[in-house]
Amino acid sequence: MYKLIEFIRNTYVVVLFVLFEAIAIGHYARSTHYTRARLLAKATRVVGTGHEALAGVRSYFRLERENRELLEYAAALQERLACYEASCEAPVPAVPSVLRAAADAADAEGADSLRTRRFEEAGPILDDGRYRTSTAAVISNTINKSENFLVLNRGIRDGVKREMAVLSSGGAIVGYVVDCTERYAVVLSVLSSSFRTGGKLSDSGYFGQIYWDGADQHTVLLGDLSKYADPQPGQEVVTTGSLFFPDGIAIGRVIDAQLDETGTTYTARVELAARLSGLSHVVLVENRDIDEIRQLLKSDKIHP
Amino acid sequence: MYRIFPYIALFVVTILVQVFLLDNLSISIYFAPMIYLALLLLLPLDMPHIGLLAAGLVTGWMMDGTMGTDGLNVIATLPVAFLRPWIIGLFYTREDPREGGIPSAARFGKVKFIRYIAVCVLLHHSLFFSFEALSWVHAARTLLRIVVSGAASVYFIWLTARLFTLKLTVRV
Repeated sequence: MYKLIEFIRNTYVVVLFVLFEAIAIGHYARSTHYTRARLLAKATRVVGTGHEALAGVRSYFRLERENRELLEYAAALQERLACYEASCEAPVPAVPSVLRAAADAADAEGADSLRTRRFEEAGPILDDGRYRTSTAAVISNTINKSENFLVLNRGIRDGVKREMAVLSSGGAIVGYVVDCTERYAVVLSVLSSSFRTGGKLSDSGYFGQIYWDGADQHTVLLGDLSKYADPQPGQEVVTTGSLFFPDGIAIGRVIDAQLDETGTTYTARVELAARLSGLSHVVLVENRDIDEIRQLLKSDKIHP
Repeated sequence: MYRIFPYIALFVVTILVQVFLLDNLSISIYFAPMIYLALLLLLPLDMPHIGLLAAGLVTGWMMDGTMGTDGLNVIATLPVAFLRPWIIGLFYTREDPREGGIPSAARFGKVKFIRYIAVCVLLHHSLFFSFEALSWVHAARTLLRIVVSGAASVYFIWLTARLFTLKLTVRV
């Protein structure tokens, strides 16, 4: 008995180390990006206020760039409006002037309110009745992990739901919401090894799968692209339309492409349209029909 | 139990800097410095082994919560805590470490102290980034992340150690 107690005394630190390490490895092995997002969402309840304060400081230093992007976006909207006007002779809504007013107001009120108004006006771009848009500020953002998450300052009480698409202020793909608390939402970034969505070459329509290989924070890959697609540098890549993402949302432009060893598919490297390392505000897009589609997919007639 | 308040302050400050500053640095995918190891590395030389292990567990667990990494920080931090007495033994042979004091450049010598930090950081980062990647396909990239982030972590921890021991005598 004495020897047993002595043995335990001599080895209990080793035993505890092995035990805790094994538990941690087991826990990590079972985790998914959903469990990690949930953990991050819980932690954000505690540290979210601090993140928000720091995000406010960062946002202040980005105002100049944001204003420039806003004006570029307003010009693009104006051009688009002119196209609609020419095609259907509809009366011209005062979008550019409202945007201009919002831009002027930004100096006084800060970028958050500016973005909100801007996308309320720009909403029709995504609005064929299926989508609802809202905006949020990014309070925390990582790009240097294999699974990267953004934390937004909008949560359940603001109408944010899981699986809402998240776009940059310029309307390019950023990620989708994986978990929410009352005040915050956690977004799985396109710069995550577990992120997958459909992408296509906008001009030819050839489609493939968008994923991140972890090589660079500015690029993703478009894989499984048909050998007939022949992607060329500079070609635009957009979303194919899925449960989360509307059709035609900008992903980026092809930098280069390689045919695989069997010669059947291309893998193209795509430069992201959104600058993920400098995001301060994002647009949330909700597919109003997502629950109906999900119910249909679970239907007994599909899975008898 | 001496200097408990400076250590509590060190714990709080390193965690806050890690969570609010270093974790939000969006410079490069290869640049992910981790300053929170400073607490483990600067705990007194006569700290009981079980105390080191507990400190490693708590620090790793807290960082897992704030980074959303689900056990990854514990996996990397616990071995550093467990092996610290042997790592110190590699660099500190002049006196018996059990007599106490803070590991520092003044006590170890500047070069040996930096080597001590580097070995601990290398151990931590190797485990952290290897488990995070969970693949040998991009081994070169993982190695680059270990080297770049490790160099930054060593610098930040050395800086933290300098600040921490600035006002405290290290009982050389």
